[in-house]
Amino acid sequence: MKNSILYSLMATALLAVSVSFTSCEKVSPQGVLMGNTSVDDRVKQSLIYYSYHGEDLDWDLTDSIEEYSFLVGSDSHITIDPGRLTEMIEIGIENDDLFYCHLGDLADTKPEYYYNTQQALYNATRTWKRKYIKLYIDEFHSIDDGMYYDKRITPSTKNYLKPWDDWTLPFYPVVGNHDITHNGWSLFCDQFKTSFYEFTVKVGDSYDRFIFLDSANGTLGDFQTDAIDENTLLNDDKVIRNTFTFTHTNIFRPSLNEFASTYCREELYYLLNKLSEWNTTIAFWGHVHAWDDRMFNGVRHITMPSMNFVDHPNGGDDLIVRITVKKDGTCVMERVGLHSKEMSKEDLESMGYITKTA
Amino acid sequence: MKLRGSIQRLLLSMILSLAASTALAQYYSGDHTFDGEHKNEASASLTSGKNILIGPCIGNTVHYKHFFNNHWSVDGGVNMQYSKELYGVKAKGEYHIQVKSFHIFASGEFLYNRYVKYKTNEIDGNISVRFERGYWDITLGESLINYTIGESGYTEPATLTFGAHATLRPRTNYWNVGLLFRNYDDFYYENWNINWGLDFYYKFNPTWKLFGEFNIRPAGSMSQLASKYETTGKVGVIYRW
Repeated sequence: MKNSILYSLMATALLAVSVSFTSCEKVSPQGVLMGNTSVDDRVKQSLIYYSYHGEDLDWDLTDSIEEYSFLVGSDSHITIDPGRLTEMIEIGIENDDLFYCHLGDLADTKPEYYYNTQQALYNATRTWKRKYIKLYIDEFHSIDDGMYYDKRITPSTKNYLKPWDDWTLPFYPVVGNHDITHNGWSLFCDQFKTSFYEFTVKVGDSYDRFIFLDSANGTLGDFQTDAIDENTLLNDDKVIRNTFTFTHTNIFRPSLNEFASTYCREELYYLLNKLSEWNTTIAFWGHVHAWDDRMFNGVRHITMPSMNFVDHPNGGDDLIVRITVKKDGTCVMERVGLHSKEMSKEDLESMGYITKTA
Repeated sequence: MKLRGSIQRLLLSMILSLAASTALAQYYSGDHTFDGEHKNEASASLTSGKNILIGPCIGNTVHYKHFFNNHWSVDGGVNMQYSKELYGVKAKGEYHIQVKSFHIFASGEFLYNRYVKYKTNEIDGNISVRFERGYWDITLGESLINYTIGESGYTEPATLTFGAHATLRPRTNYWNVGLLFRNYDDFYYENWNINWGLDFYYKFNPTWKLFGEFNIRPAGSMSQLASKYETTGKVGVIYRW
């Protein structure tokens, strides 16, 4: 009996060591059992944020705009060089895409890589503001008031006029599994505040809905499924023309060589039903770093390739997508290329993109 | 995230686990085999627990197994999860051989699940091989999972089935407690989600046996931080005649 207990303890210890040993530094070995960041905690925080700022996220476009487009990218896994993310946003600004969505795994887990990401978004914000944000002057507002507006938004919009610093890049990410390991959530939420949110885009008399779901743990979790079932976010009576959803963990597995979905079976079916119930036009998925495009139960499911340098060192013609929503509500998808090459730390330092370290 | 790296990690884990377990193994004649006397086995169990989608849930399962001889057996089961509105039936055939002190079981299984709440029909096929010794067993196999919602259906590419189980006492003992992890259960096959469990049994006599399991079924694992999905407890009896 004594030997059996001893042997069992040894076996358990060896198993634990083997699991830890075989886990790479990108993941948390203890996370195999239970993660230290809970989707429920993130969703609670997101719902609080949404209760204060939810309305600010909505877009109400001027009558002169009859159609619009947005970009979707995934799994940028930024390390030293955030070039691919920068390139995506530059393409978006050049093409007048309204906003930019990202399906998670923004940076590769480590805190220093989040700084690079933050810096890239800061630079992109400056470029974006220079193009779209204009000083507002009328009989009541002078240059001294320092109030600015986005020329594409209707004046009746709440917070139509804001100080220059309050305008932020319309970059909408969801959180991925690599965004939450090694205390990543604190870095992610410091910048983006929320992992579960929704907004609408009003064009003419039509509303299109954009829903961002937190599936970084491979589940929506207790609070998020409750919030979805109770329509906590979708609490208005707008008549919706198109619904688009964005989340990290994929459902469909593009091939035998790729990771399978990690939603537990019932949750997978719950989610597929919910997307149909929402009359979703397109559901976007990331995580698996591979392309898949299929219709299932009336919903178009697009699983995105990664846009990072490791998987695509030479870039590619089809790493992100642009969705154009036409005047009549139909959607046209276009695959868009990213071709920048990864720059070395020395090159980035010499160009002033990152700070030289000792 | 490519599969190759994951398989390498999994194989390394298994080799290390196997090395640990083999060091402990003693000779035994497995109790999952025909005992030469009782050709029939029936079991009934009650399951209750909590799931993030449903909340508290309850259900029960019944099984019947028939041994034709020391090698061949067939097994059928019915699963009724009332709170989840999940109902399933399964049929399984198994072939057993003994190689020295190893018991090897090759099995094929067909499983049908109806998720009423989610209007989903699921059909699973599985082939597996289980290796057993006195204190441990390991299962490896492949599953094919097809599901249909409305008029749309999807067959997932073949998915690895894996499981490992270690017990405190040899299987011949009249009581036992064990630890397990696996990506399947009696009535589901998962993809990369691991079900962690603690199981036990107590044999009253050669015909009656009490058994139970406590399972933690997190969502996400390995590269994803696991998060709460479901916890269940199961208790049941087995009768042999």
